Order: sequence, then structure tokens, then C-alpha cells
Amino acid sequence: MKIKERKRDGVAILEMSGKLMGGPDSDAFDEILKTLIHEGCKNVIVHMDKVKWVNSTGLGILISGYTTLKKNGGELKLLKVSDRIENIFIVSKLYTVFESFQDEEEAVQSFS
Amino acid sequence: MTSKIILKLPSQMEYLGVPDAVLMEIGSDLDCCKRQLEELGTSVIEACTNAMEHGNKLDEETPIEVVYEMNEEEITITVYDHGPGFDFQGWIPSEELMRERGRGILIMREFCNDLSFGRHEDGRFFVRLVKQLDPTEDED
Repeated sequence: MKIKERKRDGVAILEMSGKLMGGPDSDAFDEILKTLIHEGCKNVIVHMDKVKWVNSTGLGILISGYTTLKKNGGELKLLKVSDRIENIFIVSKLYTVFESFQDEEEAVQSFS
Repeated sequence: MTSKIILKLPSQMEYLGVPDAVLMEIGSDLDCCKRQLEELGTSVIEACTNAMEHGNKLDEETPIEVVYEMNEEEITITVYDHGPGFDFQGWIPSEELMRERGRGILIMREFCNDLSFGRHEDGRFFVRLVKQLDPTEDED
């Protein structure tokens, strides 16, 4: 998995690409979040448009990130989740936890 | 007529996309909908994740084996590993929504028409996924 970071209106947007499946991906994601929190940027959008698939370990990465940001007064939201991945969120009931958007502008404004 | 494909993979997570890619190729020749293939693909990724990680302890010298059997009505995928297996009958899903692990079996169970576990006569542990095919399912 690759992660490209950018900011828009004070919100960090993490553009993920590839396969979200744990292992080293988890460490890389944690490290980015820690740095963002340290910099005072606690609202994060995970851009999933280029994520091919997610396994249950990959879901764990997002849950861990969500919990970390929440504890620090921030939020993690999702952008452009594919039908395939959304289906996994539905069966695991995680759609009740993660706020999800298809439009970036709308996702960014949801933090204000 | 049932066709069969056998795939052997090193127990390394970087190969997890291969069984999914093979399934998508198989599915392109079958009369089934995209959603069904994706659900089975997600399930085989989970089965292989467990086989590599918990079964073969990520030992790249110990391969997992993925066996695809398909006909016009269903696709059956069996994933073999060399691990101790687990007590599926006694398995109780966690109610903790924010748990970071332990969703693989739940996902496989939800996405497949049949899910079973067992031990082959050669000693290997296996998980078997069955997905019945319905070409009309995407239409709703």
C-alpha cells in the first residue's frame, strides 16, 4: 500500500493506493497519524479511491486510526469507498462507525 | 462439468492478491455477477490471510494451496495450510465492534453460501468456501 499525504483547509487527506492488509502498512499508517497529531492536525480523511481491496487486518488499521484520532480529539472519515469495500463495512457493521463521503469538498466541510 | 485449478503460494502476505486475481480471471468465463465474484474474492483473501498467518506462521518455505473447483452452478475454493487449525464449532464471534482483529470468519460466513473447516487425510488443515452463482443478482 502507498500513502500520499496532502492537506486541505486544515484537514489531512491520506490518499491510499493498492491493498490495505496490515503488516508494514499498519506501522506506516500509525506513524503518519502520530506525526499529524503531533503537528496539531487531528482531522483526517482516508481517500480510498485507489484501494483495490481490504482484508480484515486492513480494517483493523482503519479502526486503530479512528480510535487514536478520537482519543486525541480528532476524527477519521472515509472518502470514495468502492462498492466492494463498502460491502465489507456493511457485513462487519463498521458502516455505523465510519462516516463516508463520495465528494471531497463535502468530506472536508463536514469537519467545520 | 467441473473444472479444477490448483495454486501454490509462499506464506507471504505480498501474494494475497494472487488468489483474488485468479478468481476474477476464472469468473470472467462464468455466468455470474461482479458482486458475487467480489464477495468470494474477499472471502478467499481472508482464508489465505488466516492460512498464511495463523496456519503457516508466515514461513515462506511452507506454501498454502488454493484449489478452485467451478461449474455452471457454483465455485468452491479450498485453502490448505500446515497449521493446527482451530475449533470452528466452538467459535463465537466477538460482540466488540471496535476490535482490531477477528473479523475474517465473520466476513467469509456472510459472503459465502457454505463455509466449512476440516483436516485432510494428509494432515493439512483446510477451509472450504462455496459460492452459488446467480447471473441475475446484479440487476436489483
